[in-house]
Amino acid sequence: MRITQISRILRMKLAAPLHRAMPMGSLVAGLLLSNCDLQKDIDVELPAYPPQLVVEAYLENGRVPRVTISESVPYLAAPTPQVPTDVKVVLTLPNGRRDTLRYAPNINQSSGKAYTHSGTTRLTARPGDVFRLEAYDTRGRRLTGTATVPATVPIDAVEWKFNDKPAEQRQAYVLTKFQDPAATLDYYRLQVHKSRLNDDPEVEYTIEDRLNNGQAITLGTSYEFNPQDTVIVTLYHLDRPYFQFLQSVEDARGANGNPFAQPSAIKSTVEGGIGIFTVLSYQRRQVILK
Amino acid sequence: MTLRLTLLSIVFLLSAVLPPRLQAQVRHLLSGVVRAAASPNEPLPGATVAVPALGIGTTTADDGSYSLRLPPGRHQVVASFIGYATQTRDVNLTRDQRLAFQLAEAGNELGEVVIEGSGSLEQKLQTTQMSVERLTAREARLLPALFGEVDILKTLQLKPGVQNGGEGTSGLFVRGGSADQNLVLLDDALVYNPSHLFGLFSVFNSDAVQSVDLYKGGFPAQYGGRLSSVVDVKMRPGNPEKFTTSGGLGLISSRLTLEGPIRKGKGAFLVSGRRTYFDIFTRQINRLNQDDPDYNPIPDYYFYDFNAKANYKLGSKDELFLTGYLGNDVFGFNSQGGFNFDFNWGNTVAALRWNHVFTPRLFLNTTASLTKYKYQIGNKLDQFGFNLSSDIRDLTLRSDLDYTPNERHALRFGVTATHHRFGTGRLQAGSQDGSVNFGSNITYYGTEAALYASDTYKPTEKLQLEYGLRLSGFQSGPDAYGGLEPRAAARYSLTPNVSLKGSYALMYQYVHLVTNTGASLPTDIWYPSRQSVRPQRSQQVAGGVSWLLGDGRYLLTNEVYYKWAQRQIDFKDGAQLFVNPELDSEFLFGKGWAYGNELYLEKKQGRTTGWVGYTLSWTKRQFPAQRGTNGINNGRPFYPTYDRRHNLTVVVLHQLNQRINLTGSFVFTSGAATTLPLGRFAFQDVVGAEPSAVPIYPERNTYRLAPYNRLDLGLVYKLKPIRTGGESDLTFSVYNAYNRRNPYFVYFDQVKDEATDQVLNYRARQVSLFPVIPSVTYNFKF
Repeated sequence: MRITQISRILRMKLAAPLHRAMPMGSLVAGLLLSNCDLQKDIDVELPAYPPQLVVEAYLENGRVPRVTISESVPYLAAPTPQVPTDVKVVLTLPNGRRDTLRYAPNINQSSGKAYTHSGTTRLTARPGDVFRLEAYDTRGRRLTGTATVPATVPIDAVEWKFNDKPAEQRQAYVLTKFQDPAATLDYYRLQVHKSRLNDDPEVEYTIEDRLNNGQAITLGTSYEFNPQDTVIVTLYHLDRPYFQFLQSVEDARGANGNPFAQPSAIKSTVEGGIGIFTVLSYQRRQVILK
Repeated sequence: MTLRLTLLSIVFLLSAVLPPRLQAQVRHLLSGVVRAAASPNEPLPGATVAVPALGIGTTTADDGSYSLRLPPGRHQVVASFIGYATQTRDVNLTRDQRLAFQLAEAGNELGEVVIEGSGSLEQKLQTTQMSVERLTAREARLLPALFGEVDILKTLQLKPGVQNGGEGTSGLFVRGGSADQNLVLLDDALVYNPSHLFGLFSVFNSDAVQSVDLYKGGFPAQYGGRLSSVVDVKMRPGNPEKFTTSGGLGLISSRLTLEGPIRKGKGAFLVSGRRTYFDIFTRQINRLNQDDPDYNPIPDYYFYDFNAKANYKLGSKDELFLTGYLGNDVFGFNSQGGFNFDFNWGNTVAALRWNHVFTPRLFLNTTASLTKYKYQIGNKLDQFGFNLSSDIRDLTLRSDLDYTPNERHALRFGVTATHHRFGTGRLQAGSQDGSVNFGSNITYYGTEAALYASDTYKPTEKLQLEYGLRLSGFQSGPDAYGGLEPRAAARYSLTPNVSLKGSYALMYQYVHLVTNTGASLPTDIWYPSRQSVRPQRSQQVAGGVSWLLGDGRYLLTNEVYYKWAQRQIDFKDGAQLFVNPELDSEFLFGKGWAYGNELYLEKKQGRTTGWVGYTLSWTKRQFPAQRGTNGINNGRPFYPTYDRRHNLTVVVLHQLNQRINLTGSFVFTSGAATTLPLGRFAFQDVVGAEPSAVPIYPERNTYRLAPYNRLDLGLVYKLKPIRTGGESDLTFSVYNAYNRRNPYFVYFDQVKDEATDQVLNYRARQVSLFPVIPSVTYNFKF
């Protein structure tokens, strides 16, 4: 378990992308960044960076597959989204059938997420099933990836407890309990939302079971929810490649602006490009704190 | 090659104990100790004792002792040392005789003031030892310092071949080695993390330190266990004659030192303390704002040091020395919302040395020492809490025997053994009601031992050799490692003013610093050689020429070096370094090499002294594909962050009059290598997560920060004596006098439209650490 993950358990308020190396390092870096007199814009000349295909594909059982294909860009390029239009995407199902996803860029109204390619039929994904993804364009770039459906780890209970303070200061913490399988190394991502899913989660962290393999695990928030709050708890059971991808994304983001952090390469789950191809396995509970 | 060197060494060692064939003339032994007059129990190691008429001289040992073999008759013997007035004594030698010197501090003299002993440069010309830098706390105190905090390690960074780890930091990167490859010793006891506050200050309180020797190469055989350098810090013994109090009031800290005799003529003690006081002000600010619900309290931070030294003569041949150090950094944050965060780290060092003199030519030092470094993080929010800690603890016993059979040989033998305990990770996390509870405790043990012998041999007046062999080993559980470490150095005098020098050293390092930050942080973890983690190894060859110029007033030295190292360590991207029972699987192994040229001109006599140093160097490392990774930088060589092509330092000390010293130092360094993201991609993430731009780092350290340059100015003004025997001064410093914004790091930022929050473009921002910082310190002694 990483120190920052532990910190996240306790919801330390660290300066956001600066908390990778250690808390005090982040504080020092935060102080530096807050002192504008000691900062200035500079011109930097970066080596040429050839754009790569980037994929985000989160398959779900019972849902139509949707995939986002974009391109990486030189860091200081204009912020215009780069969406290549000539990419063909083929999804191979566990039974060997190859489905070509059609190019139909759109925004999912319920999630607010953009996608570029979409299937036509709902998927059936059982634990252990293997899916394959292939994306290629007319410039010869070819991106491939494989994803195995993880087993679902059920949430045993979502509990909450109010503090003893006066009514106007009364707040609750929320505990999420589940049983970690003993036979496997497991990775989890917990998100706790208030009221609706499309906002940032109130609490989010990723953990592995290295220190508590096979045990009943309880993950908690601080006292931060009000009476009558609707709380949505989502527990993702990740496979190792997805966990490592998320960690590397966090490390890479954290390295920009932190002189104490070592820059990290993105550990993609695909080859020939950058990105994530995985099958989501999660349980979601919604409770009203009374 | 190793076998040949071993045989060679044995032959030389045997030859040392044989009677000198060339000794035709009867000579007598003149020996004694050079001490400071102000504190007569304070030996002056490194002082020069010479008979100029005969061209014979030597340097005092660690305990201030010297010995010269001279023909019978009358001689003028001159003793000199940096910062002290030269003393000349007449002696009529008819038999072996002892002669002690007590040197007065130069600054206290009423006559012409000499900053530096006159013989020092000559001695540096004559010695076999190359690649060594010596500094006294007295020198360091004269030079300007950041926040007025005198720091002897930072002063060493002004010497050629030594780089710092970043603006204002005290870490030393010596000839392409990393900061964890320095053997930092305090009175022969190891110090694991010699810095406070992320390396901004070293742990060495200048009031308690006497001197520091930095070995960059040509390592004597008594040193081992680290690859790149030896930083040998000696604490100052107490005044055996009278009780004195000294100290200082500075911008960020205060110091107080008490010293005096334990029993007149028998021993002395010194205790010294230092503490910062940011926290006193921040607590006041927090208290004033405690009723403001929107106020975020400023965290508490302070550090303190406590040094102690005592010595006691048990008889005419035995003396005990006790050294102690305790230092801690304390960081605490307590929010009004019930969030508590405590972070403490620090070193504990204790050493007891027994010195026994068998004869003036044979003496033994035996030291038992304890050293410990620990950090602890405690975090609590509401009912949840965790405690994370790591430590390393060493128990060491070493014995060194010095034997001078004749004037041509000086032998040294020794043995050392250390028991290590590595607490690489202890974690306890949970909630008060027990619903959340998990923990881990990972501890390893190791034993490190070494045996060495060395000889300084002077076959002719022109040629002097120093050679030795060290056999070292390490065991942790079932894993055992070891190796021979040959050391050799030679000096040949082309003319009385020109010497050629060369050296070779092989070093092993059995304990490894676990960090992937490139900086020395309090959360550093030390890990033993075990399983796949084998000892690091380095070899260095160096050659140089020393030229005494201007009637001995200047010494010009040029050294070239090449160092190559195997089994260098780094870590996988995203390595899990905390509380990982399989930490060895996170290591990556590679090789490193460094080479360069160091040019150094120094002047140590007269009212104006100082030095100019220029280093041209290259440092590279390479980590090929391994352990399921592409290695580092896809297996291609890369420059570590501390690689600097050019480094120029100019240091000037000028004694304007008896009360005013003016000092200045200038540094120019090529830009540090750093990693910037070349690309980025948009990452939406799953439902409920915020989209973001993710940087892509395809290569390591391909970007160079802007060059670094800085001028510091200082003035030491001696105040009129406050009463008889008392003295005080005001030390003014201006750090970064022309207020240059030197780069500390560069990052990329988004420029957003304030109205719509839309990203307009991306920009690069350079962050600097320190603008111009004036400071004043009041120092006193009575």
